[in-house]
Amino acid sequence: MQDPQEQTHFGFKNVDKAQKASMVADVFHSVAGKYDLMNDLMSMGIHRLWKRFTIDCSGVRQGQKVLDLAGGTGDLTAKFSRIVGNTGQVVLADINDSMLKVGRDKLRDRGILGNVEYVQANAEALPFPDNTFDIITIAFGLRNVTDKDKALASMYRVLKPGGRLLVLEFSKPEYELLNKVYDAYSFHLLPKIGQLVANDAESYQYLAESIRMHPDQETLKGMMEQVGFEQTTYHNLTGGIVALHRGFKF
Amino acid sequence: MPAAQLAGAFIESAINKLLSLDPASQKRLIALNGKQLVVAVKELPWPLTFIFNDKISLLMTAAEQPDCRIALSLSTLNKLKDTSQLTRLIQERELELIGDIHVAQSFSVLLNELDIDWEEQLSVYTGDVVAHQTIYGAKQLVARFKEHGQQLQQGLSDALIQEKQLIAHPMAIEQFSQAVNQLRSDTERLDARLKRLSQKQQG
Ligand SMILES: C[S@@+](CC[C@H](N)C(=O)[O-])C[C@H]1O[C@@H](n2cnc3c(N)ncnc32)[C@H](O)[C@@H]1O
Repeated sequence: MQDPQEQTHFGFKNVDKAQKASMVADVFHSVAGKYDLMNDLMSMGIHRLWKRFTIDCSGVRQGQKVLDLAGGTGDLTAKFSRIVGNTGQVVLADINDSMLKVGRDKLRDRGILGNVEYVQANAEALPFPDNTFDIITIAFGLRNVTDKDKALASMYRVLKPGGRLLVLEFSKPEYELLNKVYDAYSFHLLPKIGQLVANDAESYQYLAESIRMHPDQETLKGMMEQVGFEQTTYHNLTGGIVALHRGFKF
Repeated sequence: MPAAQLAGAFIESAINKLLSLDPASQKRLIALNGKQLVVAVKELPWPLTFIFNDKISLLMTAAEQPDCRIALSLSTLNKLKDTSQLTRLIQERELELIGDIHVAQSFSVLLNELDIDWEEQLSVYTGDVVAHQTIYGAKQLVARFKEHGQQLQQGLSDALIQEKQLIAHPMAIEQFSQAVNQLRSDTERLDARLKRLSQKQQG
């Protein structure tokens, strides 16, 4: 057994905890430019529907304050920005400045209003006061975070009472057959697509491995409850390839 | 597959595509800027929320505090394209409206310009129509398979016969068997003549 204080996993490899953040950063620095294209290719466009589902489940209203954590290139931010309107605010936070920059440029091109703020931040230590946000989303981000419990606790802290957290993340397919097909896809096809399109098989190999190492539905639900979230539920999407977890702070 | 979100993505991009093609409707959209309209269509399993900014965003759920909320049936939705009908539809209780009627009116003007056939677009997602579509779809699929099957067979034998000369064409077989028959009767006739000749010699 590895000492959990010292080591963590980077995909299937065990690395020093201190190292993981910078290794994850390298991955996203190297994929930032082609990130959106790859997202579409890899999921055959379905990630857009998963994200729409997340928005639909958020109960977001005009005038609310939303944190799109590990927001990357800002797909969710763009939608939230239109919904919360001029009286609301969306904070796009990401640890990686390359991803933030791609996100900022993209949203500006799309004419997103002046209600978006860009903050470089680590999910484990969010630089916001307690009880700040009505809604926090973290889409395909938690998996990359070194200390997930710490990150969930940090999210709980900055959420307003009555607010909700939505975690959209790869999970465990519900059926054995789907699991096998999905494995074949993510371990064999995915790195090849990554190589062809982004000329970067390694980053996509990491992606496949990190998906596998991520806690399954029940485990993540338990982790959320552990840090204080209540009425915690999850909803499997596309046969559990992805799950949307939701929890409230009261 | 999240079906509601698929429908939502489809409708949203269609509306925005149409809007982008028409500068006049872009201007009308400004009148609605920042407004939210919930439309509950009786036949649909989920309500729709339209959110108006520089483009229209669509949620497959009801916003909690919309500026306006309307409830109606699918067929009424199509009538809504005629803005002058709005008050009549409300009076005749074909349409329930709560909130700011101007939002519904402006939306109706927009729809009028976009000329979307809602019934056509949404009927795919409503109960019994889904069943009909599915059965119809399955039938079509079977028919297409059959057709393809026949085409495939035809193609295969064409390829084998003409291109590869692997098996004989029916015409060739026919010709061949005619030739064989001809030969057989010829030989039979020859045989008969030979017999007659030899009988004459003996006789
Ligand atoms: C797969 S992307 C997801 C981007 C976006 N949410 C989406 O769904 O398209 C993961 C993002 O998480 C960010 N990230 C990784 N570790 C993080 C951390 N500890 N804190 C904040 N963001 C992090 C990465 O920089 C990257 O932009």
